[in-house]
Amino acid sequence: MKLFGDNYFTGVSGFRAKLLLAMMTLSVTITGGGLYFAEHKVAAETEHDLLRDFQAEVTALDNTQEIRRIALAERCRALVRRPRIRAALEDNALDLLYPSAKDELSDVMEVPGSTHPLNRVLVARFYRFLDTQGAIIAPPNPTEVGLLTPAEEAQLQLPGMPDKEQLGYLQRSHADHATPTIDEVIVMPIISAQTEEVIAAVAVGFKPVELAANHTDGMKSGIWLGAHLHMLTIPSSVHASLSQEIQNTITAPKAADTGKLHAEINGNSNRLFFKQLNPGSLFPAAYQVSLYPVSAGMLARQKHLRWQATLTCTLLLGASAALSHYLARQLSQPVEKLVIVSAEERLLRERAEADLQRAARFSADASHQLKTPVTVLRAGLEELLALEPLSPEVREEISALVHQTFRLTSIVEDLLMLSQLDAGHLPIQLNTVNLTQLIDALVDDLSALPDELNVEVTCDCPTTYVLGERRYIALILQNLLENARKYNRQSGQIRIACNDDGQAVTLQIANTGSPIHEAAREHIFERFHRGTIGENVPGHGLGLNLARELARLHGGDLWLLRSDTQWTEFAVRFRNAKQGSTFQPTA
Amino acid sequence: MRHFLLPIASLCALSFFTGESAAQCVVEGQIPLPKAHSAPVANKRYEIVSKGGVLATDPPLAVVYLEGSFAKPQPALTKQMVQKNLVFIPTLLPVQLGTKVEFPNLDDTYHNIFSYSPTKRFDLGRYRPDERPIPSQILDKTGVITLRCDIHPHMRALILVLDSPHFVVTDAEGHFRLTGLPAGRFTLKAWINSTTTRELPVELKDGATTQVVFP
Repeated sequence: MKLFGDNYFTGVSGFRAKLLLAMMTLSVTITGGGLYFAEHKVAAETEHDLLRDFQAEVTALDNTQEIRRIALAERCRALVRRPRIRAALEDNALDLLYPSAKDELSDVMEVPGSTHPLNRVLVARFYRFLDTQGAIIAPPNPTEVGLLTPAEEAQLQLPGMPDKEQLGYLQRSHADHATPTIDEVIVMPIISAQTEEVIAAVAVGFKPVELAANHTDGMKSGIWLGAHLHMLTIPSSVHASLSQEIQNTITAPKAADTGKLHAEINGNSNRLFFKQLNPGSLFPAAYQVSLYPVSAGMLARQKHLRWQATLTCTLLLGASAALSHYLARQLSQPVEKLVIVSAEERLLRERAEADLQRAARFSADASHQLKTPVTVLRAGLEELLALEPLSPEVREEISALVHQTFRLTSIVEDLLMLSQLDAGHLPIQLNTVNLTQLIDALVDDLSALPDELNVEVTCDCPTTYVLGERRYIALILQNLLENARKYNRQSGQIRIACNDDGQAVTLQIANTGSPIHEAAREHIFERFHRGTIGENVPGHGLGLNLARELARLHGGDLWLLRSDTQWTEFAVRFRNAKQGSTFQPTA
Repeated sequence: MRHFLLPIASLCALSFFTGESAAQCVVEGQIPLPKAHSAPVANKRYEIVSKGGVLATDPPLAVVYLEGSFAKPQPALTKQMVQKNLVFIPTLLPVQLGTKVEFPNLDDTYHNIFSYSPTKRFDLGRYRPDERPIPSQILDKTGVITLRCDIHPHMRALILVLDSPHFVVTDAEGHFRLTGLPAGRFTLKAWINSTTTRELPVELKDGATTQVVFP
């Protein structure tokens, strides 16, 4: 036999699939949302990181240059403290000034034609002494002190003699170069050791630090001087526009020494940072300009991060799919069990129903199969009685047989009803039944019977209503009353009392028959049991059993209250009709 | 003080042996000196100051000398300018023209004495105390020489080259006494700094001490 129907499988797997779908939708939504926010965060953080890197590089460059300038200044300070320089100036020996300086600067001075400067970090390109008016003291041999064109020498002219060091930038043009270069100039006053008066100054030009030209991916650096941007690594086509932009920014009112700009170069976004190199100097202002390609670096980093994020999300999705599948399985297990259990229950119920139907069919069949022969038998016997002539013995015998057929019919009906009760297949219609009226009618019927015992019936029963089906309640009462009469003694009594406690109605029916033996009392409600004393009493031993089953079917009960020499009393309880119609019969 | 007095004593001794004539004239007096830049200190360290190109000692000292035509000593005289404790001793050294000046290094370190002065340019290079012969220069032109050390920028001294054997450095108050002088009419000069020299005509008489007060 097939235990589970097809729809069982489609039901459970459908549930599991729906659960899986819901969980996958949820995890995809969460992952997608996470990816979206992660991307935004990545973009923001990348830019932040880039700017931080940029700032760090700018700061590093600044620090490097600052250290370098300190070194340059210290070099110049050492120069002006040299006794020979002071001697040349103080002891009327200007002809020895440049030769002395030549000796002192021999380690840093760039020698034309030589490719190996002694000091690779500090490379001096030229030097000049300035008198107390700031004018250049002419060198005796210009080729030894670094040649300068008149225009370049003019840039060295200061409006007066500075009392402290000055940082300047000199724009130098070259015959073989299209673009001019920048030299860093430090002017250091020469102060008399004794009088602390400025007696002269020296200007030394140094080769500036340049970022390697192949450093094109990262930061580019240059110097803005005299409305021109000197940045070799930037396409010369944008020099002019960038120069103009910086010019506008630094000449704007409330312009600071430092600033930031956005610049577009060949369609790429760049961050531009500038900082004045020589604040407070007598020389024209020069600015350090750093350019950082935001988009290129950002795109590269974002691409990398996006790959990482996508990979992570794919892994996450895979993991969540596996987890969803597992959870769906786990969660659907109880449901599966439930389905299995309910399927089993349904099977049992179907079997029970089949049994019941079979029983009902059996009852109907039995009724037909048993009652019909009895009726045929009785009809046959009654026909025999009508035949003439019959001897009185035969007639009496046939009459007894007819009587037996009635008894047989009664047994059959009781058995049928019991079998229906057993099968739980006896439907009852709950109605309000007037118990008192029913008792009166039954007592009337009882007194109408031929009565050799001469039993007296007393009834103390006010009007009482119970819940039940009238014919079954009548059957219960009829059984009890008939028993009370059958098992009574000669001229005995039947006492009927009724007690209503609001919830239930208890009816007590007592008779003055012989007491039931102690040992027999527990068996009196069994089927086909008959009291030992009543061998000659008509009955078939099913009445009490049937009455109790019917009472229980009505939500009540039937029991033996007492049985002594004085009274044998049965009590039957019914539900009070005032309780309402919420009653459910017990199966 | 000891270092300061030593050359004066030697000068006086020298005057005795180099007297031109038998006459032993003396001239003494005082010259008013400019006010000192720095407060006088117990050990009287003299420094060379140059203000506006003017060289002088601080506290101020003067060199008083007799101008005239005197015979040159034969053989040439030798004087010393000592470097000790990273200073020149004496700070101001007057010498007769043609004198050989030695520069002994009495410190336990290098010195590099040089002069960019037009009177005498020289550079002795770096040398240690054990350098022999002691680096020296013959001063063959009158004038002021500023001595410097290339290694120790604070070290400075002056040498005054005079065409006269008769000279003396005043004390801090400007007192001076020149002895062993020949009799006759002379011009007495007082060098105060590189641009200021006072002079007075004097007539020295045999054996007499002439009192002179510079205005």
